[in-house]
Amino acid sequence: MHIKYESFVREPLVDGNKTYHQVSEDIIAPIERKPGRMWYIGFFFSIILLLFGVFSVSWSVYWGLGTWGVNRTIGWGWDITNFVWWIGIGHAGTLISAILLLFRQGWRTGVNRAAEAMTIFAVMCAGQFPIWHMGRVWDGFWVLPLPNTRGPLWPNFDSPLLWDVFAISTYFTVSLLFWYSGLVPDFALIRDRAKTKLRKRLYGIASFGWTGTAKNWQRMEALALVLAGLSTPLVLSVHTIVSFDFATSVIPGWHTTIFPPYFVAGAVFSGFAMVNTLLVITRKILGLEEYITIGHLEAMNKIIVLTGSIVGVAYLTELFMSWYSQSWGEMEAFKWRIVGPYWWSYWAMMTCNVVSPQLFWIKKLRRNIPFTFIMSIVVNIGMWFERFVIIATSTYRDWIPGSWAYYSPEWPEVGFYLGTFGLFFTCYFLFAKYFPVIAVAEIKFVLKTSGDNYKREMLAIEEKSAEEFVHEVEASHHEDHAVAHH
Amino acid sequence: MSQKQYWSDLQDLKNIATKTEVADNEFKEELPFDLSDSVFGATTPRRDFLKFLGFSTLAATLVSSCEMPVRKVIPYAIKPEDITPGIPNYYASTFVDGGDYCSIVIKTREGRPIKIEGNEMSAITKGGTSARVQASVLGLYDKARLRHPMADGKEVTFDAIDRVIKEGIAGKPGYLVTGSIMSPSSKEVINQFLAKYTNVKHVVYDAISYSGMLQANEASYGKRVLPGYHFEKAQTIFSLGADFLGTWLSPIEYSKGYSVGRKISAKNPTLSKHYQVEAIHTITGAAADERATCRPSEMGAVAVALYNAIANGTEPALKSAALNKLVKSAAADLKKGNGMVVSGSNDVNVQIVINAINDKIGANGVTVNWVTTSNYKQGIDKDMADMVAAMEAGTVGAVMLHGVNPAYDYLDGKKFAAALAKVPVTVSFAERLDETAQKCKYIIPDHNFLESWGDAEPRANYYSLMQPGISPLFKTRAFQDSLMVWMDANQTYADYWKLYWVTRIGSQANFDKALQDGVIEPAGEMANGTLAFVGNVGAAVSAIQAMKPASGVEVVVYQKVGIGYGGAWSNNPWLLEMPDPITRAVWDNYLCVSPKRAKELDAELNGFNEVETKKKVAKVTGANGYTVNLPIIVVPGMHNDVVAIATGFGRDAKVGRAAASDATKGGKNAYPFTAFNGNTVDFYSNVKVEKTTELYEVAILQTHSSYEGRPVIHEFTLAKFKEDPKELQKERGAEMSHFEHEPWDKNAHHGGEALATPEMEDGYRKNGTLYPVQPFEGLKWGMSIDLNTCTGCGACVVGCMAENNISVVGKYHALRSHEMHWLRIDRYFSGMPDDPDTIQTVFQPMLCQHCDNAPCENVCPVSATNHSSEGLNQMAYNRCIGTKYCANNCPYKVRHFNWMDWNGADAFADNLFEDDRRDDINDDLTRMVLNPDVTVRSRGVMEKCSFCVQRLQDAKLTAKKAGRPLIDGEVRTACQQSCPSNSITFGNVNDKESEIYKLRREEQVERTFYVLEHIHTMPNINYLSKIRNTGAIVAGNEKLDGMFSEHI
Repeated sequence: MHIKYESFVREPLVDGNKTYHQVSEDIIAPIERKPGRMWYIGFFFSIILLLFGVFSVSWSVYWGLGTWGVNRTIGWGWDITNFVWWIGIGHAGTLISAILLLFRQGWRTGVNRAAEAMTIFAVMCAGQFPIWHMGRVWDGFWVLPLPNTRGPLWPNFDSPLLWDVFAISTYFTVSLLFWYSGLVPDFALIRDRAKTKLRKRLYGIASFGWTGTAKNWQRMEALALVLAGLSTPLVLSVHTIVSFDFATSVIPGWHTTIFPPYFVAGAVFSGFAMVNTLLVITRKILGLEEYITIGHLEAMNKIIVLTGSIVGVAYLTELFMSWYSQSWGEMEAFKWRIVGPYWWSYWAMMTCNVVSPQLFWIKKLRRNIPFTFIMSIVVNIGMWFERFVIIATSTYRDWIPGSWAYYSPEWPEVGFYLGTFGLFFTCYFLFAKYFPVIAVAEIKFVLKTSGDNYKREMLAIEEKSAEEFVHEVEASHHEDHAVAHH
Repeated sequence: MSQKQYWSDLQDLKNIATKTEVADNEFKEELPFDLSDSVFGATTPRRDFLKFLGFSTLAATLVSSCEMPVRKVIPYAIKPEDITPGIPNYYASTFVDGGDYCSIVIKTREGRPIKIEGNEMSAITKGGTSARVQASVLGLYDKARLRHPMADGKEVTFDAIDRVIKEGIAGKPGYLVTGSIMSPSSKEVINQFLAKYTNVKHVVYDAISYSGMLQANEASYGKRVLPGYHFEKAQTIFSLGADFLGTWLSPIEYSKGYSVGRKISAKNPTLSKHYQVEAIHTITGAAADERATCRPSEMGAVAVALYNAIANGTEPALKSAALNKLVKSAAADLKKGNGMVVSGSNDVNVQIVINAINDKIGANGVTVNWVTTSNYKQGIDKDMADMVAAMEAGTVGAVMLHGVNPAYDYLDGKKFAAALAKVPVTVSFAERLDETAQKCKYIIPDHNFLESWGDAEPRANYYSLMQPGISPLFKTRAFQDSLMVWMDANQTYADYWKLYWVTRIGSQANFDKALQDGVIEPAGEMANGTLAFVGNVGAAVSAIQAMKPASGVEVVVYQKVGIGYGGAWSNNPWLLEMPDPITRAVWDNYLCVSPKRAKELDAELNGFNEVETKKKVAKVTGANGYTVNLPIIVVPGMHNDVVAIATGFGRDAKVGRAAASDATKGGKNAYPFTAFNGNTVDFYSNVKVEKTTELYEVAILQTHSSYEGRPVIHEFTLAKFKEDPKELQKERGAEMSHFEHEPWDKNAHHGGEALATPEMEDGYRKNGTLYPVQPFEGLKWGMSIDLNTCTGCGACVVGCMAENNISVVGKYHALRSHEMHWLRIDRYFSGMPDDPDTIQTVFQPMLCQHCDNAPCENVCPVSATNHSSEGLNQMAYNRCIGTKYCANNCPYKVRHFNWMDWNGADAFADNLFEDDRRDDINDDLTRMVLNPDVTVRSRGVMEKCSFCVQRLQDAKLTAKKAGRPLIDGEVRTACQQSCPSNSITFGNVNDKESEIYKLRREEQVERTFYVLEHIHTMPNINYLSKIRNTGAIVAGNEKLDGMFSEHI
């Protein structure tokens, strides 16, 4: 429903008859009761996947990376593809919490908590790949600029891989802080409602003695703004730096100045898709349809169609630039990407990322939940292929035809990838059980302006004629002035 | 008797007891530990208790947690003369394997041979080597070598075996079967043996027979010998199926000679002209200027057509226009003088016609030498056939086999084995339990050539001495010694041999000098001369014309450059992993077919299935019913009606772990496809080739065949090069000229033509980057590789493996492109795939380019790869964490990652990679081949060519110790040294007197180019363009180069 004096796009952000208490009830109750069957099944499978991942990684560390399919020509395969993919997914959370906060997008409140959690878990997953793809992982700490007795010998600050180390660790730290600071008032709420001693104690520790005073709120808001300011450039910088891994190289298909914006757009694209995947499931399982509304999903879908189109333009620009450069290395690299033995990966990318999201121009589809769910999966398949296309199909036919090769993953690489799903969902299931999946405090913040029931209360005013309304407003102004004069 | 008492001074003498006391109190201070009975009752119990506790806990932890490494280094109690740890010793010797010959220098470290180099004092091989010579040092440490004499499969003593054999060989007719023997002293021993045992006949058997040639020469010139060939003197070379750069007779010698005629510069733009007619695609065909194909059975017809064209000016009327054109043009060129015709045919008539042609064109005495003849091959096929018949008849009492393995490589090995079973006394001198030795009653293993005394006379009057680099590793005995024992000579062969040479060359001093030099050669230029041709050409021509016209598919049984005829090479992991120069496949043999034939077999070569490792399998059935299933490998340049199978595969498990074959590995035996034509063995026959539904994985290290017209390689025709030698400079100038000066400089190029010059290169180096340029003062290493002389033979690849301890990865990992070769030879085909006569092939050795602006260096997060002040791109293995970023960013893809624990060098226990074929490489015995100067890289680190930095350091140190600057040519890389065609030049580019400086700046400015120069990697390796003495370069031409336009 819409109000006369409000844009028709402003639909309620919270549906149903919600009071502040009801909001607390709806969101905190799942934490206080035993989880349902679905939770146990999901958690079990996640753990199984995680263990398989641990096994696969142990196998490759013990025997060597020859258990993988990567080779002389294609030194990075599924490992770095998955790394970039997860990092990309990890962009949505911070974007939603930081940039949308700065833009005062009220609708973010319904989705930001889950999205931020997803970001943190995705970055954790992403971080596994650069670690375990090292040939001598036990010496991996050499990338850290630690004081040492080896000379001292410092890392090579020219290397984009080193920049990655800093970019990702910074991003992870800031995202974690942002997420946690938002959780503090909600933890306090759980603490206050807690009926068992242990819960009271643990959430008490977690909520840092939050009492909900005005000072508390003021500081919390200030911190949120500071962190939002800090993480906004990070959203852009992390994937920019990840893209430098490729952009600073001499391999055609990698050596591309368009990469930073292209990677960032792609990251937001895939991140939003992943948030959609999770939200569709979460709202259903935890019964939060009234908080995560179709309106929310539609807003997400709009960003997906926007970023999908940006990514599409980037793909076409790449092709144009390779032709426009008239450099044989560039032209050939893109030719082999499209028509070479890996043609299917290029076309999978194009179909999933550029063609299919265009369907979101249709409002009906944007608001269709099954379709949104399918598309969110399709987009992430497409984005996985984008990374594969960039990484594997640039190196596989590069400068010297005599060294061209082909690559298919071996089971430990696949197992590693599945293992990160295990890690991700294990974390997510724990999160869904023990943490409020929706930011209670923030929802309450928008409840009275954007809640369905509060909007309905406005109907009485709506029915008044314009003159009547103006009169009333002026009358109230007079009263105010009178009070002020006295 | 009481123990003697020694005294050190007078006081000591007075009272020996005092001294004992002093000695007892040597440590005046009390030890800090209170070693009283009770720890707690001691004077300082608490502190000591803590000390004990700390020490014992630590000790217990160490002992229980760390596996103590077993140390096998035994220090010299008494240092042997001449052996200083860390200092190599070199011994001149001779590599002999049947008829294969090379004069060598053995490098030994701490008494064990670790590397073979060519002996530059030899006028025959002139310091060149081949892949097999390089790999032969690994054969010394082959785990499959027999370690003691055997009788009926059980270990026996020499005495026991000698008694029985001596009885056994007396009496009934016997045979001594050997390969071709070049050793004059061994021949002498054999003659004495035959004189003592008059019932024994000597049969010479060569697996790859040159019987046709020997018999033809006897018919043509009255002498059963092979002439010497002087490729260096040949202006026109016509080869009819002779792979003289790869496998024919003496490829090292011929490569050296051939390269002389292939050296070219703008100042001296002349090239020999090389015509090649062949059935399959060999590296010799790849080097040829004009190449056409024919069936192996048509070789005779081609020879006749050439003969007629030369003798009578008859227009050739062969089956293909390309052949006719080639023969006509060759005939005209051959008549100009300084020509030479060689043929790989084993047919007497064909060789008679070849002799007639050489006679007609005046080659004899010029390029074909009938005075300094060759002794490489001596076997006559008929002798062997007769012997097998006699054995079958059961009339033979004893057979002794040395250096031969007919049960495997005879045209009917089964028949031979069956015949052998009928012989009561069978003796093998085999070094391993090969297919024949298994069937013999007695085995007395011979020494490896690196453990032997001996000699060789490869060419008449050119001698080469063989001395051991190590004492025999096992209970083996020289084959000559066995004969001498059996003929009751009271002397060892070593003594006999020494006496023989001291007597022959006059004095002990001469002998010592000869042994040091390794060769005994007449002074001055090699004697040359001719013989009168008395052959009956008419009869030979009619015999050839009477041959049944060929139809159907013919199989050619050929030798791979690496594995050759088989023998010990089949079990040599270095050679098995050396990519075949043409197919680039490793660890298997297969059915080579032309692209057109492949289409018919549903195994079409195209851009998509080139990456599929599972190859379609074809069933090949010979005329004698012999059937094999082999995977199809498409080889452009093969005659469309010809298929080819390499020898040396399909070996028995006892030949060695690497050689062992079954349905899943090790290939198939090709010898049963050879056929006896009543006089000689034909190395081809008619076969039926059928499709099957089977698939078989073949590891091919290079999947893409076309260089796609990219400026990675530059090729020009001779005519074009003569007309405009600066063409390449213009092309390079177009890329670089903008950077010669800064844009605001008044000399800046703004468009227009500019020639690339060394000065422009300097400008490009400086202005092509935003960063300051690192100056290189003092030494600056550089290498140049001549694409014109490189034949792709692979000697450098194996030389590099031996020098730098390069790991063998085995087939499974080769399939996944996990190979470790620091140096690979890229092979590119161009031309129309369906027309074999249009194919042009080029080889490009590719190794770390040691870029001065190296893309690998700045991406390493831990600076494990960095640049030296001498221009070397270096790897600090210990610093590498294995991100593989450097390998990704290397435009040349020459960095190799240690994917697995190939060699047991990593810290994990029991994770050594094993595939049951390459594993013997990690045996304690085999590891003796490792070069102690080079680190064995552990799993998880990157490695690549180091420009043999250990050699550079060694040479620098030597120069420093001598207090002089490094002399040009003093240090050579392993690849450079092993090259039989002098294609590699290496040195200090800052030294204006150096060969490399002169080459780049003066002599070869026109031909010099750098691969991927335009991306400003600033490589320290340059290449010299390929100049073909032909009508057109097809590569990169959309119309002429189907490989390019179809991207295969």
